[in-house]
Amino acid sequence: MPDKLLQLSNIGKRFGANRVLDSVSFDLFAGEVHVLAGENGAGKTTLIRILAGIYPEHEGTLELGGRIIRFRNPIEASRHGISVIHQELSLVDSMSVADNICLGREAARAGGLWLDRRAQLERVGALCARLDLRFSLEDLDRRAEQFPLSVKNRIEIAKALAGDARVIVMDEPTSALNHAEVERLFALIENLKGRGCGIIYITHKMEEIYRVADRITVLRDGRRVGTAAAAECPPPTLIRWMIGRDLAEQFAPPAGMPAAGPRAPRFVASHFTVPRPGPGRPPAVEDLSIAVGAGEIVGFAGLQGAGCSELFNGLFGAYGAVCGGRVEIDGEPVLPESPGASIRRGLAFLTGDRKGTGLVLGMSVERNVSLASLARMSPWGVLAPGLERSLAEHYVGALGIRLDSVGQETGALSGGNQQKVALAKWLATRPRVLLLEEPTRGVDVGAKHEIYRLLRSLAAEGLAILLISTELPELLGLCDRIVALHRGRVTGVFDRSAATPERVLAAAMGADSPEGN
Amino acid sequence: MTTPRTPFALLLTLALASNAFPKDAGKWVVGMSQCNLGEPWRVQMNADVRRAAAAHPELEVVFKDAQNDTLAQRAQIEEFVNSGVDLLIVSPKEAAPLTPPVAEAYRRGIPVIVLDRRVLGSDYTEFIGANNRLIGKAAGAWALRRLAELPAVRKGARARVVELQGLMTSIPAQDRGAGFHEALKGAPVDIVYTADMKWLEPQARLEMESALAVQPRIDLVFAHNDPGAHGAYLAAQAAGRERDIIFVGIDALAQEGQVYVRQGVLAATFEYPTGGREAVEDALKILRHESVEKEVTLRSRVFTPENVAGGGEWLR
Amino acid sequence: MRTLRRWIERPEGRALFALLFILAIGCVFNAHDAFFRWGTHRDMLRQVSVYGILACGMTLVIVTGGIDLSVGSVLGLCAVVFAQLSLHRGQPAVLAVPAVLAVGAAAGLASGAAVARFRIQPFIATLAMMVFARGLAKWLSGGEKVSRALQQPDGSFAYLDLPGAFERLDAKVWGGNVAVVTLVFLGCVALSWVVLTRLRYGRYLYATGGNEEAARLSGVPVRRAKLLAYGLSGVFSAVAGICQAAQEQQGDPEAGVSYELTAIAIAVIGGNSLAGGRGGVGLTLLGAMTIGYLEKILSINAVAESSRLMLTGAIILAAVLLQRRRVA
Repeated sequence: MPDKLLQLSNIGKRFGANRVLDSVSFDLFAGEVHVLAGENGAGKTTLIRILAGIYPEHEGTLELGGRIIRFRNPIEASRHGISVIHQELSLVDSMSVADNICLGREAARAGGLWLDRRAQLERVGALCARLDLRFSLEDLDRRAEQFPLSVKNRIEIAKALAGDARVIVMDEPTSALNHAEVERLFALIENLKGRGCGIIYITHKMEEIYRVADRITVLRDGRRVGTAAAAECPPPTLIRWMIGRDLAEQFAPPAGMPAAGPRAPRFVASHFTVPRPGPGRPPAVEDLSIAVGAGEIVGFAGLQGAGCSELFNGLFGAYGAVCGGRVEIDGEPVLPESPGASIRRGLAFLTGDRKGTGLVLGMSVERNVSLASLARMSPWGVLAPGLERSLAEHYVGALGIRLDSVGQETGALSGGNQQKVALAKWLATRPRVLLLEEPTRGVDVGAKHEIYRLLRSLAAEGLAILLISTELPELLGLCDRIVALHRGRVTGVFDRSAATPERVLAAAMGADSPEGN
Repeated sequence: MTTPRTPFALLLTLALASNAFPKDAGKWVVGMSQCNLGEPWRVQMNADVRRAAAAHPELEVVFKDAQNDTLAQRAQIEEFVNSGVDLLIVSPKEAAPLTPPVAEAYRRGIPVIVLDRRVLGSDYTEFIGANNRLIGKAAGAWALRRLAELPAVRKGARARVVELQGLMTSIPAQDRGAGFHEALKGAPVDIVYTADMKWLEPQARLEMESALAVQPRIDLVFAHNDPGAHGAYLAAQAAGRERDIIFVGIDALAQEGQVYVRQGVLAATFEYPTGGREAVEDALKILRHESVEKEVTLRSRVFTPENVAGGGEWLR
Repeated sequence: MRTLRRWIERPEGRALFALLFILAIGCVFNAHDAFFRWGTHRDMLRQVSVYGILACGMTLVIVTGGIDLSVGSVLGLCAVVFAQLSLHRGQPAVLAVPAVLAVGAAAGLASGAAVARFRIQPFIATLAMMVFARGLAKWLSGGEKVSRALQQPDGSFAYLDLPGAFERLDAKVWGGNVAVVTLVFLGCVALSWVVLTRLRYGRYLYATGGNEEAARLSGVPVRRAKLLAYGLSGVFSAVAGICQAAQEQQGDPEAGVSYELTAIAIAVIGGNSLAGGRGGVGLTLLGAMTIGYLEKILSINAVAESSRLMLTGAIILAAVLLQRRRVA
């Protein structure tokens, strides 16, 4: 009978008025891999952070090896044998591999003052040999920044295991690894299991879940939906747990949708590929072909790392002229090379991060609205302030933006109104094709529906609209077609009539992928 | 770490080799360490050295400019010593920090001529310089004589003088000012406005404008250098008062102060000799093992419109 | 009272408040009524004009979120070139002035290319240009001032006549009440104002400084905007160099040392934010007058140098603290 390493009971967490976790229980035995699954925002990251000691204030109890404990900080957690391999790497590029691995646990002599490099190197070498991590002594002395991302992942793992941890959390560890490296990781996991460690594994990828999991726990909206042995939780069950039966029944196309008629293709992408920077890395989007007609709304569904955002950026020319494949707007071929050129050709792109890349928060609302249309509005290079003001006021009315005046600083508006200003900016460019990334992020429910109505009327006027959203109900309610992406490839295209949440999510998780990677 | 060793050694050897001067038999190598070339007066000093040395083909002068950095000048003196110059001429930025390297050179048997600014102690062969205090005093005495001729002063009024100082943290400015004040002691003269124009012409102009705004009558302006006097003149000219004021400066460079005197801008300028020519001549004497005086005070000339064509008049 | 509060919340209001504060000090410490004579104010404007012209270019660059440390050195370089062309070679102003403006533009565009094309930090790029331009000025002038005294082959010095351009620039007009260089300064302010508020590229400058990535994704030609800002800064430095040469009646390769710091201080005291994306040249004008009056008041009261430096530093700090926006 294996030891129970960890027991989380009735864990809850609130951020202000926002409840993120509600009475979640979770346990972990020695020698098992327990997968933690759920959609974005289900609460997985928060749970892990509580375990790692990042949130000392939480409801519920944490029991480690039989003792009830509350961690005050991450160092305490790691001293108790809990080790987390985060998604964002925590290596210091300018230090050597060995130094990175021993960070915080350096080998010291003479009362803890002098750094004992040789002892450190030996210790690290022994660790890597034990874990079959294949680092030579010379490699260990080189600076971390000289190695590619996949190797850095391995260093991160070694670092997490340097402290003899027994509970190991891996958060999306394979996001940057190729096939061979993934296999090596799985072998390492077997190694760790054999030595009595317990592993909490977070992933979106169907193929991985069923490869490593002994047990699976699914969270949804901050609550635990269920826990089962992998054999007793086949993919359909898993997906149903993740989405929720009531949601599947709730979904129905709203009444009064315009009938789908024959459309001329307005926007066509053929064999479109978006490369990743750096040598030897797989492309972010590979060989994508889609045709969107005038008046059509096509949604893109993908989980983290699927490549949806990169797709839109590439199509818009935000990366420059580095993408492969062909793009046509209204029949004429265009080369995505710069945002300015794309705007001139009638393409518009609402980015997913309005604060970072969407708006100039220090400028007034009217100046933000006119920002992408200035070339058109000022033919001799001279601005027309009256024209800008009336343009802004027009959109304030059309989109229902709540503010004191169009001269007000955009940063002073609420999130939802800011999103509307960003949308206004792009509508002002009179686009033929509209790319929208998370158009209703941070927008309240009332405003969301206003935006949905607006998008449908724009489609009715003949625009081709492409949409990325992580909210399945939004995609299902709004789109004529949904394209699922997984690891940069199209894994499913669903017509409105054929799209169900289960199918879309399954495709986004790679379940229907023909390769079954 | 595998760094390429061979090219590095090659570079090192080249660097060491290039530091040694090619010694033509029969030629003497003189090192000239100048503290900065930012002041035109020092540019003139180097030019004087160069011109004097050009007349003697057996002399080769190597110039180094420390760009007003004390540590850089120290390093440059050490470089001269290491490469074995026959004689060192140095115009130090400051006395105390540069005394050790100069003394080291002297003790190693390299003759040292110190120009214009002193080092401490006596570990050098010769010091050549002008006496700023005496020059300031001469300027003050000359000013007194001119002021006494003014009609208002003859009638018993006290003369009103503006003093535009050089950078008062520097010794030349302090000495020139002190000498000037010494000459004026006890005389019926009021220094009605004093300002530090930091040797700069635009600053002098700014300060003179203020003086003109505050003082209804100014008889004479004494500036610690000619650019300062010129700036004051321009300010007075803009206010239409240049004819009522006597302008006196110091430096008397041929292309600057003497030209101003010839044009009637300055009533007088006092030469602050660079000593470049004297240094080269005495260097030759030293190298030929002839004796020289340890302390040489250069004489100065005053240039006025009457004598400027004739090359000025020697003081005292 | 509420209008006063509303007024203080705008950056122009705060800058004006700081200026009025300094003027009040001047009225109190008026150096035997010297502060109440027009000549004092006219001279203050003359003195600050060269710094103000530099500050106009600096404002354009600061709005994009950058900085230009080379303005003082380019001023010196252009003063030398202008004196050589106009004074020594007798070129007429119609030829000399555009040539010098081109030199300034070239220096500015080089800095701008380093920042925009090669993504070098503005501080570093313009620092490099600052050092390079100073060296170029010294090389072109042989290390000496390019003055009316021209050395003849026989070693003597001939005294050249001052070209008309020099005389006209250093003159006063309107009954001797305004210096010509002050008018040049105000002209530069007007030109900068037009660029920043009336031209499309001015808006591009603000957007680039406010959020460069958002601007880029909105189709703003960020690179070209930065090139424009730095290029214009170079042109303004050239204008300042010409005015400086005219006022000194010579081209001094050492002219302009540390002027960039004063130009930055003028822009910042006026209320421009070094982070970019806000502000304007009206604020710069107010800042120039504030600093100009501060220096003038200290000068007519013959305050000692050490006290001047401490007081100036303290008052600059006070003025900036008074200007802080309450972040929404």
